[in-house]
Amino acid sequence: MRGSVATSVAMHAVLLGLGLISLSSPRSMDASVESVSVDIVPVEEVAQVQMGDKKAPMSEKPAPTPTTRPDTVPDAQKVGDNEMDTDKPLVPDAKPKPVESAQAPKPQPKPEEPVKKEEVQKVEEPKPVPATEVAQAEQPKQEVAPDPAKVPEQKPEPVKEAEQKPAELSEQKVAEAQPQTTDSIAETVAESKPVEEQVKLPDSVPAPAAKPRPPEAQTAKAPDRKASEQPAKEASSKPKAEDSEFNEDEVAALLSKEKTAGGGAKRSSQTASLGGRQNQGAKLSRGEEDALREQLSGCWTIPAGAEGGDGLRVKVAFNVDSSGKLEGRPRVEESSGNRAFDQSAIRAVQICDQQGLQLPAGKADVWAEIAVNFDPSAMF
Amino acid sequence: MEQLPLAATGAELSVWSLFWQAGWVVKLVMIGLLGASVWTWAIVFDKVVAFTRMRSALDRFEQVFWSGQSLEDLYRTLADRSTTGMGAIFVAAMREWKKSFEKGAKSPIGLQTRIDKAMDLALTREMERLESRLGFLATIGSAAPFIGLFGTVVGIMTSFQAIAGSKSTNLAVVAPGIAEALLATAIGLLAAIPAVIAYNKLSSDVAKLGSRMEGFADEFSAILSRQIDEKVAPRAAA
Repeated sequence: MRGSVATSVAMHAVLLGLGLISLSSPRSMDASVESVSVDIVPVEEVAQVQMGDKKAPMSEKPAPTPTTRPDTVPDAQKVGDNEMDTDKPLVPDAKPKPVESAQAPKPQPKPEEPVKKEEVQKVEEPKPVPATEVAQAEQPKQEVAPDPAKVPEQKPEPVKEAEQKPAELSEQKVAEAQPQTTDSIAETVAESKPVEEQVKLPDSVPAPAAKPRPPEAQTAKAPDRKASEQPAKEASSKPKAEDSEFNEDEVAALLSKEKTAGGGAKRSSQTASLGGRQNQGAKLSRGEEDALREQLSGCWTIPAGAEGGDGLRVKVAFNVDSSGKLEGRPRVEESSGNRAFDQSAIRAVQICDQQGLQLPAGKADVWAEIAVNFDPSAMF
Repeated sequence: MEQLPLAATGAELSVWSLFWQAGWVVKLVMIGLLGASVWTWAIVFDKVVAFTRMRSALDRFEQVFWSGQSLEDLYRTLADRSTTGMGAIFVAAMREWKKSFEKGAKSPIGLQTRIDKAMDLALTREMERLESRLGFLATIGSAAPFIGLFGTVVGIMTSFQAIAGSKSTNLAVVAPGIAEALLATAIGLLAAIPAVIAYNKLSSDVAKLGSRMEGFADEFSAILSRQIDEKVAPRAAA
């Protein structure tokens, strides 16, 4: 027994030794096979061609829709080329303003020139330094604006007066009552001015060159617009506060200075790019197909006797014009063999057309020609 | 750009390193199975040698027995030696025969029974000696795969725990632990397969030798019974 144990141990030792040599680290597999990732791409992505402009340069992405200039609608509430349609408060065009500004400059020189001369005299009096008359004459010119306010104490609105004089003094009251919108604005502008000017009174004597601003104010364009926008803003912001819903887009729309016009989110200002002559390759989605089938099955009355008939199936094709109306008579493409059945399918299309066929917008090229299988088992 | 090594370079995959990386339970299982394998092969070698000797001894004894030599002479030569196999059966039977005749046994039936019993006893003893340790082979043959599997399961459990700890499902992290765990099953099978084959072979050998000895015992019993009849009949007649 001892001998055999020794033999066994020796044998195992030899085998293990051999194993350690020959079964040492197996060569690691080299991963030479690279995995290939596969994407599933719908056919439409490749086949779909969007209408473009033949002469347009190649660009990476086609314009969403061929662009046309939107008509500027007078009471538009949308801004063109936006991500989202949001109502922007109607900004009334400042139409009365040009009239006002056009009127203002004209009468201005008339009452001011005499004032100017007075001013020149005033200035000359305290200053013994003799200056060239040309220079001094020019200096007061720039001062023109503050002057009328400064000098006369009888009226705070020289501008207005100038405006009203060409009209009529007697009309003053009527005008105040009637064109409230424009005049009240003008008043507010004018009222704010004298306050400033009265403060300036004492120190305005020597430095006339530093005030080129008041004449600007006289055009009344910039302040006027602000004044007209403010009430509009307040009016529009009030209902929003009641909603207590904060909509960033609406805020952005309110803040934007862009003029409202036609168009809105539907319009794109991107240039057309090279593309096909028309949109093609689009497909009706499953939902749109179902909707069409639903409509047709609603219009379809299966002739008596054919309800249970299995295997009765007719393929009807018909054309639809761009407005969604049936063009010509539906034709039977694959007859069921049952005349009454075929006729019922054609009638279904016609009835549906009379009721108004609802077709997805923007896919006119797809549903220009429609072929529908009328199969009682599939349609109900 | 530096290239990252694909697999963890620290994990060597040779058999020896796999053994050393294993946990202590798995190591214990592996060592136990290796010991079992050593013992199995020791038994196999021992039995093969023993059976070969036995076969040749049986052949020699049969040759001598059927050579026409007097049974008394044969008994006298064999009685002093330690005998195996048929020799032991022959000696046991002859001893009983001698004892009974020298003391003048009365009943031939009783003598026959006693001789048979003695031969049966000798035969059983011989068979026992032949079959000894074969049971161990059977046990290893059936249990070693399970023991190896146990080691594997424990090893995989611990390696999965380690994976859960490292929070990585990379195959390079998972593989070494599983490989070392599978080594336990491999060793279990390595011990079990020879054990099963050897057990089947040796037990069939034992059965052959046993039937051969039984055949001899029956034959010898017949011879002795004839002798008894021959010796008792003159005595009864006389």
